[in-house]
Amino acid sequence: MIGRRGPGPADPAGQVPDEALRLENVRKVYGADGNRVVALDGVSLSLPAGSFTAVMGPSGSGKSTLLQCAAGLDRPTEGRVFVDGAALSGDSEAALTKFRRQRIGFVFQQFNLLPTLNVMQNVLLPLKLAGRKADRREARDVLERLGLGERLGHLPSELSGGQQQRVAIARALVTRPRVVFADEPTGALDTRSARDVLGLLQESVHLHGQTVVMVTHDPVAASYANAVLYLADGRIVGHQAAPTAEAVAERMTHLADEVERQRTMTEA
Amino acid sequence: MFQLAMSSLRRRAGAFVASFLAMFLGSAIIMAFASMLDTAEASGATGTARETLVTMANVVGGWGLLLVVFAVTSTLTLSVRQRAVEMALLKSVGATPAQLGRMIVGEAAGLAVAAALLGIVPGMLIGRALLGMLHDTDQVPADVGYTFGPIAVSMGIGITVVSAVGAALITARRTTRVRVTESLAAAAVDTGRLSRKRVVFAVIFLLVAVQQAVITVTVMDGDSMAMATSGQADIFAAIGLSLLAPAIMRRVTALVAGPLRLFGGAAGGLAADTMGRRTSALAAAVTPVILFVATAVGTLFLQSTENAALEAAGLAKTNEQKNIETLNFVVIAMVVLFTAIMLVNTLIAATAHRRREFGQTRLAGATPGQVLGGAAVEAAVLAVTGVVVGTVASVFTIVPFGLARRDSVTPDGSVWTYLAVVALAAVLTGATAYGATRRAVRVPAVEAALN
Repeated sequence: MIGRRGPGPADPAGQVPDEALRLENVRKVYGADGNRVVALDGVSLSLPAGSFTAVMGPSGSGKSTLLQCAAGLDRPTEGRVFVDGAALSGDSEAALTKFRRQRIGFVFQQFNLLPTLNVMQNVLLPLKLAGRKADRREARDVLERLGLGERLGHLPSELSGGQQQRVAIARALVTRPRVVFADEPTGALDTRSARDVLGLLQESVHLHGQTVVMVTHDPVAASYANAVLYLADGRIVGHQAAPTAEAVAERMTHLADEVERQRTMTEA
Repeated sequence: MFQLAMSSLRRRAGAFVASFLAMFLGSAIIMAFASMLDTAEASGATGTARETLVTMANVVGGWGLLLVVFAVTSTLTLSVRQRAVEMALLKSVGATPAQLGRMIVGEAAGLAVAAALLGIVPGMLIGRALLGMLHDTDQVPADVGYTFGPIAVSMGIGITVVSAVGAALITARRTTRVRVTESLAAAAVDTGRLSRKRVVFAVIFLLVAVQQAVITVTVMDGDSMAMATSGQADIFAAIGLSLLAPAIMRRVTALVAGPLRLFGGAAGGLAADTMGRRTSALAAAVTPVILFVATAVGTLFLQSTENAALEAAGLAKTNEQKNIETLNFVVIAMVVLFTAIMLVNTLIAATAHRRREFGQTRLAGATPGQVLGGAAVEAAVLAVTGVVVGTVASVFTIVPFGLARRDSVTPDGSVWTYLAVVALAAVLTGATAYGATRRAVRVPAVEAALN
């Protein structure tokens, strides 16, 4: 289900019923003619609902670009993205925003909570912006589950990094999105808080059937996922199911050699 | 440090535009009026003509000094605060607070010299036009020719540089005393609580305003000189109320929060939640609106009441009264100009400061339209509060003067004058906030949220 696929039959109607995210031959090129940088070089993938996927790769491999294109934060130069069967398209920023807020949740390394809103207001914000009924009881339930029941009236600056990230996760889950994208969610946290945060993401997958895509460079973080996708030079170069931290670290160490070997094989 | 100051001036010209504009316009106006002294000397004018020329120069020179210090301090503080990261970086590589202070003062002095030199030519043109106006209204005989000489140049450059350096010293003291981490933390959570010093000064200014009003009604009753005491009452009241602005904004935001949440939609609700925690920033933005409305309304209606009083008594204006009228309008024009620069600069800086916040709001699901809507709500709250508080301050001038000159509480003059001032304040606030926010949301949301 996961891995490299050619740009084969691309009929959205013919998709697998439980598919949460699909990328078809996505390319992203930055810069003008003389100074082109290919960040994504024809990435195709399909992720089933209820999966927890880690995306790994060295710096500059295109991890963040992949996440931003898949999440509708950036537009691919070529190729198509489907979230929950719906093609991610939209001419205006407003249309893209509306697409995102119906189907996608975000967790970032730098939390990105609004500094002037308290915990409860931050969590309810996506619902209010979407004009949906802001169910305070449900938001409170989610926050209590994440161990923040006592902190509803606090501002982000009054919380620790781990607590802020848990608020961000609550905010991402409160709209019940089809896919949650996490960009280095543990990058700014100590080991203990990082473990809590990863446990929460794992729980949302296992207990609530959430789909999570997480970009990380930490093998321990990746080991919480069901599967790891390896990215190098803007292409998917490997796939690993049921990863352990040791196996991921081992594979990362040899990723450069592997890419080199694959390249010589295709050239031969 | 001087070298650093000059290179930062060259590399980051954008940050200094507002300060430069304030200094440039200030020096041009000061030179134009100071050239009346040159004209009086060179032409050997005597009697009332000489008196007119000297009064013009002195009154406007004094006002100019005050306004330039005020505007330059406000713009310079903002440009330094925007460079908080750069300042912290300099500290981390070993710059002492004294060195940072020298850099800030050096930048301001360099800027002031350039602004004053560039102000010479426009200063000459304005001065020539001013004398032409005095000729036309027969306040100065036509045979007095225009001279732009050493007094104009030395006063223009001197006042501009001295006030810029003074403003820079005030700014440097503020910036270098606070540790950067502290000032950032303080900015994140702000409750709108007033410091004791602020309250004391506010009370002093308001008491002076009341005292001037009382003297106008009692001692100056029926006297044409009532203008001298009542003319400044609105400014003192406006400064006093501006000092209380954080508390005023806290009340206002609490007051409008309910209706905004009910009827304002998602953008209104967001604005209601955010504004209560941004009272200091809102107070900084509302201050120029208050000053603008108070002085403009106060002085314009003061003059129209005076005109009505003279007309009722069947008197023609004396030379001195014409003089005062001209001065009143010149001072209004200056105040309008400088408060407009301050208002635009404060709003642009405050919005640029929120670029990251806007990016984060969009990542949480806000469309660019919703972000703009929230900013529009804030601008409306600022404009309305500024107009109401400014009008209250102008009452300190209008009512006592009306009682003294016309035995009437209500001023003479057209309601359209008032509406024009209000419209100008509203348009300036709204257009600036809209333009700055639009620029901020044009950046992709992820990029904006990253830095």
